[in-house]
Amino acid sequence: MSEPVSALKNISDLNGIAAIREIGPLGMITLRGDLSDRAVQDAAKTAGGANAPDQRKINAEGDGGVAWMSPDELLILCRYDEVPLRMTNLQAGLSKGHALAANVSDARAVFEVSGPRAREVLAKLAPVDLTPGQFEPGMMRRTRLAQVPAAFWMTDAETFRIVCFRSVAQYVFDLLKIAAQPGSEVDFF
Amino acid sequence: MLVLTCHACGVTAEETEFHAGGEAHLKRFGPGSSDEDFEEYLFMRANPKGVHFERWRHANGCGKWFHVARDTMTLEVFGSYSAQAFAPPEELLSRIEDRRPGWRGQD
Amino acid sequence: MKKYSVFAVAREAMRHHTGWNRAWRDAQPKKRYDVIIVGAGGHGLATAYYLGKNFGITNVAIIEKGWLGGGNTGRNTTIIRSNYLQDPSAAIYEKARSLYETMSQDLNYNVMFSPRGVIMLAQTEHEVRGYKRTAHANALQGVTTEFIGPERVKQLVPIINLDGPRYPVLGGLWQARGGTARHDAVAWGYARACSDMGMDVIQKCEVTGVRSEGGKVTGVSTNRGDIDCDKLGIVVAGHSGHLADMAGFRLPIESVALQALVSEPIKPCMDVVVMANTVHGYMSQSDKGEMVIGGGTDGYNNYTQRGSFHHIEETVRALVETFPMVSRLKMLRQWGGIVDVTGDRSPILSKTPVENVFINCGWGTGGFKAIPGSGWGFAELMAKGQSPLTDAFGLNRFQEGRFIDESVAAGVAH
Repeated sequence: MSEPVSALKNISDLNGIAAIREIGPLGMITLRGDLSDRAVQDAAKTAGGANAPDQRKINAEGDGGVAWMSPDELLILCRYDEVPLRMTNLQAGLSKGHALAANVSDARAVFEVSGPRAREVLAKLAPVDLTPGQFEPGMMRRTRLAQVPAAFWMTDAETFRIVCFRSVAQYVFDLLKIAAQPGSEVDFF
Repeated sequence: MLVLTCHACGVTAEETEFHAGGEAHLKRFGPGSSDEDFEEYLFMRANPKGVHFERWRHANGCGKWFHVARDTMTLEVFGSYSAQAFAPPEELLSRIEDRRPGWRGQD
Repeated sequence: MKKYSVFAVAREAMRHHTGWNRAWRDAQPKKRYDVIIVGAGGHGLATAYYLGKNFGITNVAIIEKGWLGGGNTGRNTTIIRSNYLQDPSAAIYEKARSLYETMSQDLNYNVMFSPRGVIMLAQTEHEVRGYKRTAHANALQGVTTEFIGPERVKQLVPIINLDGPRYPVLGGLWQARGGTARHDAVAWGYARACSDMGMDVIQKCEVTGVRSEGGKVTGVSTNRGDIDCDKLGIVVAGHSGHLADMAGFRLPIESVALQALVSEPIKPCMDVVVMANTVHGYMSQSDKGEMVIGGGTDGYNNYTQRGSFHHIEETVRALVETFPMVSRLKMLRQWGGIVDVTGDRSPILSKTPVENVFINCGWGTGGFKAIPGSGWGFAELMAKGQSPLTDAFGLNRFQEGRFIDESVAAGVAH
């Protein structure tokens, strides 16, 4: 099998007011179904290694986890090479009900923005209140970054992980880089 | 700039995260209906000055549709409710009544 | 009415400009008129003018809830063109464009018509094909347009960036006799001419009800009393639905805010009108030097004359792509107008379910260019019950499925 590569080959920009790194490839599985269904919750927990989160939350640990995406959709995060096995397990666990699991790992790009001004960089691009206390680790937010859809969460108090479509990876990297360019501090937070 | 709350995922965000879907609670008339009903369904719109019930989609978010009650003159948003509702909930109607006494009579 | 001329200017210069009269009388409403036109914007005033000029009907009142020309007539970006694909549209817009050519002479009022030429940029293969098709259709309709290549575009518009970051300029649809006019002057010129024919232009007169008997209109109620009429013309753009509601019928219309903005004034840099419909921005330079910029419509119904903030960003982004020098400009003013958009994005000039009530609306985002043609056709419709210019624009087309298939998807600037 060919070697998996991330969209931008792990490009990074460390010169700005926050560090920007493309990470991955990461394993991502979209799971759609009735989230109140016990079988769906169990399957998600087995595949993601964490409990199915509450509305707009994420339960993540390292590269693994489960994120709430919409009232009928979860995103399962795992190591890229573990996806085939987890898919098989999911299919087995969900075989009795109406649900859908799809491997979307190759359709996505993942970025990490870190540093004391990471909030500021994201706030320039997304119409989201990123004030400390309003947005904290454990929350999941689907929104837009400038002109494209994206989702992000915080892995710690100064680090964001951002997921976007692979086709707009370069655009998102450029956006982040411009939003973090040296001298562009706003000192809002 | 509108600030809307998605009824499906609970996010409150400004309008660029959403996409407007036009007047709510239209009854569909399809093949076999009369010309008048079909015209009414496809083209005729209330277009009121004042309270308007409309559909929105959380396009850059959870992707779900929901309903919003809004004033087209002041852009005041009265609230949002489920996309599966056939009519606005009574609780919302009375909240609008508080803000716009007598508006129901004008409709 | 005193004739405006170079001699009049010279004479008044000698006496410190003390001899000028009001351009139109500040009329009080009479008890009854043959025709009442609701809405003293360009379309309403033009209708009244041609009722008098072409049909001798001068017992006419034009009533206006605000001030004359204070709605979309005073809020648009003044672009005049007639390069439409479908025959009925080309006919009415070309009629309008040709009337603009002689309007200053006809009205004895300088409307500053400037046939500087309009380019609609083709920035995708689809647009290239679409505009070539339009140019061929225009040739058959007797409308002079031409599809030009990128070199010619650059020649006409030196400040343009042909290689755009998203969409390169592949050519353009060029109408050399399109252009701009002074929008306020169009309303003022028509008002002056109407007043001179004995018509009453009544401002600050808001219609509060439409009165009818046995399905036939008898008059209107206003904040300045009841006024009787034989025929009623409703020409109120974004507020058409509201007036139709008073008269007792519904319209296939939704009202949204459309934005425009102008920059600080700069030296002459672009002497044609450029419309970039794919990235969505259009721009011309006014005589004052301001860049006049057309923006986007809100996605949702509203009656606020300002529009959403993010459209400014979208519009300016499109223009910076197309004209990089715009990035150094400051924007001076921004405003919005309430445009009335129909299901097929083409206007309605029609009889209505109420006898002797006529409606002229649905011009959406592009009504200014049509003012004289619309007035000409609508006056004929009101006087004779039928007009070749307005036949295709009846309300019944939404029931019968005879839509005017201009590129509907655009919504703005089709």
